[in-house]
Amino acid sequence: MTDVTLYHWEPNANSGKPMLALFEKGVAFDSHYLDLLNFDQHKPDYLAVNPLGTIPAMTHGQYVLTESTAIMEYVDEAFDGPRLMPADPVDQWRTRWWMKFLDQWLAPSFSMIGWSVFVGPSVRQKDPVELEAAIDRIPMPERRVAWRKAINGAFSAEEMAESQRRVALGITYLEQALGQREWLAADSYGLADINGFNLAYAMPLSQPQLCNDSLTPNIMRWLRAIYARPATRACWALGRTDLARRISLLEGEPA
Amino acid sequence: MTTILYHGQPNGPSFTVLAAAFEKDVDLDLRAIDLVAGERHSTALPHPLEVDQSIEGEGPVLVVDGVAMTDSVFLACYLDEVGSGPALRPADPYARWQMMAWCRYVIERVAPAVACLGVASAPPAAVPAGIVSADLEGRWRDAVAGRADDAQLTDSRAKIGQAVEKIETQLADGRDWLMGNFSIADLESYAWLAGMRGIVPSAFAASPLTDAWEARLRARPAVARALGLATVAHPEAIWAPGPEINRWG
Ligand SMILES: N[C@@H](CCC(=O)N[C@@H](CS)C(=O)NCC(=O)O)C(=O)O
Repeated sequence: MTDVTLYHWEPNANSGKPMLALFEKGVAFDSHYLDLLNFDQHKPDYLAVNPLGTIPAMTHGQYVLTESTAIMEYVDEAFDGPRLMPADPVDQWRTRWWMKFLDQWLAPSFSMIGWSVFVGPSVRQKDPVELEAAIDRIPMPERRVAWRKAINGAFSAEEMAESQRRVALGITYLEQALGQREWLAADSYGLADINGFNLAYAMPLSQPQLCNDSLTPNIMRWLRAIYARPATRACWALGRTDLARRISLLEGEPA
Repeated sequence: MTTILYHGQPNGPSFTVLAAAFEKDVDLDLRAIDLVAGERHSTALPHPLEVDQSIEGEGPVLVVDGVAMTDSVFLACYLDEVGSGPALRPADPYARWQMMAWCRYVIERVAPAVACLGVASAPPAAVPAGIVSADLEGRWRDAVAGRADDAQLTDSRAKIGQAVEKIETQLADGRDWLMGNFSIADLESYAWLAGMRGIVPSAFAASPLTDAWEARLRARPAVARALGLATVAHPEAIWAPGPEINRWG
């Protein structure tokens, strides 16, 4: 037992951010795995923790925290261990700028693609009446819309094309930034890298024509360097599905 | 060290940054630009990725020793680090999480709604040249043409109501400021909501605590100084395209 409990799904996207930050800080925590594809995040037990019904959430003693990026800043400040927010105020600004850009611009585009090719098809075969009831239990109206679209395969061609446009551009922006410095926002490994890795670790597999050793050598160098960290290995070991196993593609040497 | 702040009328993100700089006593070379005329896109300003792809849309740009920075809450965090005035963020990690999570809510849910309603009420005259971000340019085109989705306008009005309710609830225990002590959360919340009194009056029909909080905020010398930079009678009615409405959910 520890006084930290993390409610998370796979080490991936939002769940993986606080998971990896906790591992990097060396903070022991109780892992409470929620199966997103089984709608665990909308069940009463979890809604008592996070009434919005989104993952992740963390409790520390009597505190309940949500919002993955804000949780990472908390983890960095509340516990001993290596500093994950750079010391320089401009680097701090750049860290936050990138995390916002990833969270609010690039990640939603990846989500739309991921939900239409993976999440939707994974739950579509369930009993339709059960599915409808599950959707009705979702607290946020915006998310009810997203789940319906994913299940019905109803993302429009226009929305998907816009997401693909943003993914392609986002990859060039990341490559450009990582060509300027070793890590995304500063000269040391930190929160922006943890955030970015959770979004980008599978890019060489999901976007092979855009992200590879010849087109984006700096992204590949960065992903491999993060993969080599003991905290990353320990974190991804908590994954239970093929989603998290995609990380093994980073084992390969540059082509 | 030279620090330049390119800013618009003291409303929205420009308000947050101006007021934070004055609260913190940071010495700035202030350069007023017309955000509604698209001057942020002119070659007079530096154009790194962080300016051209700012999620905030049309907001202020702070240039410190050649590094151009955007996004008002994070600029305010920067000013809080480097300035000498009283802290604008709580020191305790949990209280700080509360402030950052509050600001994230304003940034992600309230600001896009406000910007959508703001430009619909006062459309800009023309799409400026030189916009690098295709999605920001799309928001400009919609704003200039007065194209607004009814569902989005309705939802945006609801979001303003919810934000005022959230402030009323937060202030219900008699506190003066949203996080207890005065903070960036007060500045950022006021920055986006001040102009909504005229546009969504029903949201403020029964909000005595919010009204009193706004009056306290405007009485602060730094805030008065920021508002005093306005070159129009009603800076809170001036809007340029802002952050996009969440396309995922
Ligand atoms: N802004 C929140 C978003 C959390 C979020 O949306 N998480 C996703 C998983 S990555 C989720 O819970 N989706 C399931 C659902 O909405 O039902 C954060 O960063 O923590």
